[in-house]
Amino acid sequence: MLITIALGFWMAWNIGANDVANSMGTAVGAKAITPKQAAVIAGLMNFIGAYFFGKSVTETIRKGILDINMIHNPMVIVYGSLAALLAASIWLIFATYNGLPVSTTHSIIGGVVGYGLVYAGTAIVDWWKLGQVVLSWILSPILGAIVAFFVFLAVKRSILAREDPLGSARRWAPFWTGLAFVVIGTMFYIKVLHGSNLLKGMVFYGIPVGFAIFILSYALIKVRFRPKDPYLGVERIFRKVQVVTSAYVALAHGSNDVANAVGPIAAAYAVLSMGLKGMEVPVPRWILALGGLGIAIGIFTYGYKVMETVGKRITELTNTRGFSIDFSAATVILVASWLGMPISTTHVVVGAVVGVGLARGVKAINTSILKDIIISWFVTVPVAAAISAVIFKVFLLVG
Amino acid sequence: MQVWMKLFAKSPFKPLIKHSEAVLETVETLEKAINAWYNGNYEEMRDLAVEVDRLEDVADRIKEGIRDSLNSKLMMAVSREDVLIYLHMQDKVADAAEDTAKWLLVKKPGAVPDELKAPIIQMGVESIKAAKLVHKAIVQMDRVIESGFAEKEIAEEYGIIHEIESVESKIDGLDTKLMQKVFEMEGSLSWGDGLYILNVARTLSNISDKAKDAAERIRLMMNK
Repeated sequence: MLITIALGFWMAWNIGANDVANSMGTAVGAKAITPKQAAVIAGLMNFIGAYFFGKSVTETIRKGILDINMIHNPMVIVYGSLAALLAASIWLIFATYNGLPVSTTHSIIGGVVGYGLVYAGTAIVDWWKLGQVVLSWILSPILGAIVAFFVFLAVKRSILAREDPLGSARRWAPFWTGLAFVVIGTMFYIKVLHGSNLLKGMVFYGIPVGFAIFILSYALIKVRFRPKDPYLGVERIFRKVQVVTSAYVALAHGSNDVANAVGPIAAAYAVLSMGLKGMEVPVPRWILALGGLGIAIGIFTYGYKVMETVGKRITELTNTRGFSIDFSAATVILVASWLGMPISTTHVVVGAVVGVGLARGVKAINTSILKDIIISWFVTVPVAAAISAVIFKVFLLVG
Repeated sequence: MQVWMKLFAKSPFKPLIKHSEAVLETVETLEKAINAWYNGNYEEMRDLAVEVDRLEDVADRIKEGIRDSLNSKLMMAVSREDVLIYLHMQDKVADAAEDTAKWLLVKKPGAVPDELKAPIIQMGVESIKAAKLVHKAIVQMDRVIESGFAEKEIAEEYGIIHEIESVESKIDGLDTKLMQKVFEMEGSLSWGDGLYILNVARTLSNISDKAKDAAERIRLMMNK
């Protein structure tokens, strides 16, 4: 058990150390926040996201992919979880070393499938569910691109193309900030207060919270002096908005990616403490907290360094673009978390970048990365599954 | 993390502006050389003409750098072809300036009558104006993209392009007049002087020609 926790914690650390830079990179790159501020925001918001909104995705990884009822020996789940975590780590280390943009999420799912196949053959895998998950991997970046395309188009129409871009930005920036909070407020109602009526959640929680934030940010954003170049002024306003949206991304990231680390822990813990019946019980909150903590520690010990590098690298991104990317990606990721879909946050962010690029918003994007991502879709699951299968077999033989 | 390292490529616009600055400097130096030529300071003119040659090399190197950085996998706000062709045209402006400098160098001035010198000076002034406008146009193009292709900025860019076109047609007119004058004076001019003047004028008018081609390319960039 301790080994599983340690390994899961290490996975969480890894997510914090490496993946967070992908989600916060736009804000740091657009110079909205410094790497240190990004670390603080990301640490805090990832923890909150993991703790409050991380459950559904964790459940999917814990028991959505494999038919747990077919496993009669609790140790199988423990060994399997261990094998899945190890396989995902090994594959990630290999891929990162070779510069492939593989997703932690895809690796862990592959790992889970791998041990399941070795234990009980193809029947144990819930292919329908797995199909949905795989579909969500392909759809989520595309959705990220579509949303980002329209968000940027809206920013363009409502602010940049106006006679007085600065004045429009002052009116519209609070609107977008408010909209982010509408989504967060609604999520809070559904996930924390366990409300089931989406419309009710939106009307009673989402919209009031969003409106309050709208008023607050409208009061806060003052155009103290008008720079000669109105676009610089707009960017300055969106620089402030991006502080909020970067937190929004971090929250979404925590809500989805914590599962990669704690999904297997949760499975192992449940069967060890309560036997096979343990799988019926929901994921204990402390495990989510543990994952959130691991991610936060990863950010503080190593992630901020990665963000420093990223921040120096992306100099071409302005704040209105960074905002469009952040807002769209975070919204898509949060919706996926709500649906319990374990997606790759990095791929969604890349999708959003391309979406803004399609709207002629970014001056130059290297599209060869897209080919790499598509290849990684097809390679990651089989490879991680194979590694996991081998490790699991060894465990069975030894244990 | 590698994702970010690969995803964002460098915008070609900052280097394009840098290239246009180098081109502008080349043409400005040429203008000085023409003034020195007008005043009969051959020594000064020669130094300046050599400097034109050197500056053209600087522009060339920037051009190579931009070309190398634009691979076909880039997704840009403007098409890669437009950027490359624009760059080519902008570079031709400097090339044309270098051509003029070469012609200035082949022969000691002095025999050229003042009434022929004056239009050449004027053409020099106009061609530098065209080059300056090209610089202004590419800076404005960056702004057009920054604004997300806002109508207002596009309109301003069109204004600059029109200005370049009118400068070009003005130089064309000057060139034609100068040619006519040269042939009117064919009795008093040596064939060498005539050839010399015609070529200086032709290369000068070429500067604005290329400036116009560059401007045309910017127009296409906006209409992607």
